[in-house]
Amino acid sequence: MLKKHNILLVEDELELARSTISSLSKNGFSPFHAKNLKSARKLLKQEKFTAVLLDLGLPDGDGMSLIKEIKNTKIEIGLIIVSAKDALENKVQGLELGADDYLTKPFFFSELNARLKSVIRRLNLEENRQLTINEITLFPEEMRTMIHGEMVELTGKEFGLLLYFFSNPNRVISKTTLGEFMSSSYDDYGFSDDVVYTHIKNLKKKIANNGGNDYIKNIYGVGYKFTLE
Amino acid sequence: MKLLTKTSLNFISASVIFFLLGSVAMYFSVRNIIAEDLQKRLLQEKKEFFFNADKNKLNDLKSKLVFIQITDKDIGYSFSDTVLIVNNSYILYRKLTFSYLVNEQYYIISILKNQSHSDLLIKKIVIMNVGFAMLFFLIMFFVNRHSIKSALSVFYSTIRKLEDFELSKIQSLSLEAAEVQEIKKLNEVFEKMATQIYNDFEAQKEYTENVSHELQTPLAIISSKADELMQGENLSKEQMEQLALLLETTNRLSKINQALIFLTKIDNRFYTQEATFSLNDLIKEKLQIFDVPIKEKDLKLEIDLFEITHIYMNPYLAETLIINLIKNSIIHNARGGVLRVHLSNNVLTFSNSGSPLSFPEKDIFKRFIRSENSKKNLGIGLSIVQRICELYTFKITYSYISEHQFKIIFKNK
Repeated sequence: MLKKHNILLVEDELELARSTISSLSKNGFSPFHAKNLKSARKLLKQEKFTAVLLDLGLPDGDGMSLIKEIKNTKIEIGLIIVSAKDALENKVQGLELGADDYLTKPFFFSELNARLKSVIRRLNLEENRQLTINEITLFPEEMRTMIHGEMVELTGKEFGLLLYFFSNPNRVISKTTLGEFMSSSYDDYGFSDDVVYTHIKNLKKKIANNGGNDYIKNIYGVGYKFTLE
Repeated sequence: MKLLTKTSLNFISASVIFFLLGSVAMYFSVRNIIAEDLQKRLLQEKKEFFFNADKNKLNDLKSKLVFIQITDKDIGYSFSDTVLIVNNSYILYRKLTFSYLVNEQYYIISILKNQSHSDLLIKKIVIMNVGFAMLFFLIMFFVNRHSIKSALSVFYSTIRKLEDFELSKIQSLSLEAAEVQEIKKLNEVFEKMATQIYNDFEAQKEYTENVSHELQTPLAIISSKADELMQGENLSKEQMEQLALLLETTNRLSKINQALIFLTKIDNRFYTQEATFSLNDLIKEKLQIFDVPIKEKDLKLEIDLFEITHIYMNPYLAETLIINLIKNSIIHNARGGVLRVHLSNNVLTFSNSGSPLSFPEKDIFKRFIRSENSKKNLGIGLSIVQRICELYTFKITYSYISEHQFKIIFKNK
């Protein structure tokens, strides 16, 4: 079993924080919550964190200042900005300061899980070169897939989808969420459900053809679930 | 017409008119003065004649210019002009004619005085006057021109600064200090206006950001709660479907909000950093992103990017423009249809198959207008395209001749 990663959530909106924490716990993380910069600084001194989820507009200041402070400590901590500010310059500024990713509110938990796991993977290259669930093994760096030890050719989009499911096992992922994920490179409004459906159909076929189990369950009218039991 | 040209022209035309009138008036008044002087001298000679006539014989007083004739009545005295031929040339004389009574006999005495000398004098005076006046006007003209120019230099610098004024870059105009009261006042007004505009712009920007933030956060809470609920163990199929719909609607609301904020930002001239880049590369790059939906819909791509076309605009807006056009021509395409992109001579066209519009053509760029069978779309992408084109005064038109076609004429700076 993998060790539990400590995640610090800096968020002043309590209801949103509660849902996020609950979702993080279910996904095998050990979340901590700070509702302002002051308590975030205190927690950062007390605990060792793998990653920080940072809201920008906080009651006692701009979250950007915390990025600088964390970067100055030279301790490797993954940093994801979660902000309602969609402005391009905010993203650029945040990433330039050293944030690893930028998520715009409202976001989907499955998207947050996927991004968080991707950031953690990048931080711990040695121990996470590959991800294995039963007979399927993914090599995110090289975008390679193996089923029963045999190489399987997946398209970029299919690999992305499978990695996304790997980050969200046993979680109901709505078709809206998957649509958003698939069209994230168009940077706005989602595409039709057909695109998602076609890709998942192809992915399922390839897994089945290579002797893999049918993990991806279609929940009609709702979305999909990567089931492990 | 430039202010300087205008004042100069006024000055010159007024000068010419007054100068002509003045010259004519001067000519007549000088002539009058000289004529009067001549008459005075003739009257003086008349006095002298009477004085001499008392002492001498009348005939002795006769000369080249004094004529004496006999008459029978008193005729008083009168002036007239007369011409004598002297050495074959005509010479103008002024003549004083008066009667003189001696030994009960009346005589007519005529005294002549050469007028040609005074005529020459008048000519000389007039010519000299015209010359001096012209010189004077010329000097005045240049002095005047120069002084207006220097007085207006601050004014021109103000105009240049106003021309270069870009909202997002400068907080105040920092105009030059002016000596002239009116220009000083003008600069003050401009400075005040610029500061006001800048403050309004900042306030609006802040408002837009706040609206975005304030709406997105509650939406995030709704969405997160629905997502959390959906993970519950004992949900009925119907409950799951309703939660999925709730997620979809929230997502849609959030996208509409973002799109409207984006439109407001374009209207507020938020995207002002511009650069020159190749439109061809941008189109190619963006078409690649849509590889998947293009394949999914089995579309036939026909791309003719003839000439390398460079455009000067904000890169983010250019990206949005192209993405929205591509997206539009995929979404509203028929399955197995054609997507044509054509670029030459600064004219970009996007054509795609598909049935005609179910609403009037003129409404195509309006917000939230969409066809019957695409209710899932936001109906805002083409509004954004049109707004971006308006911002850069690119001309965009839509037409339908067996296929949909959007045409943009880019202006090259």
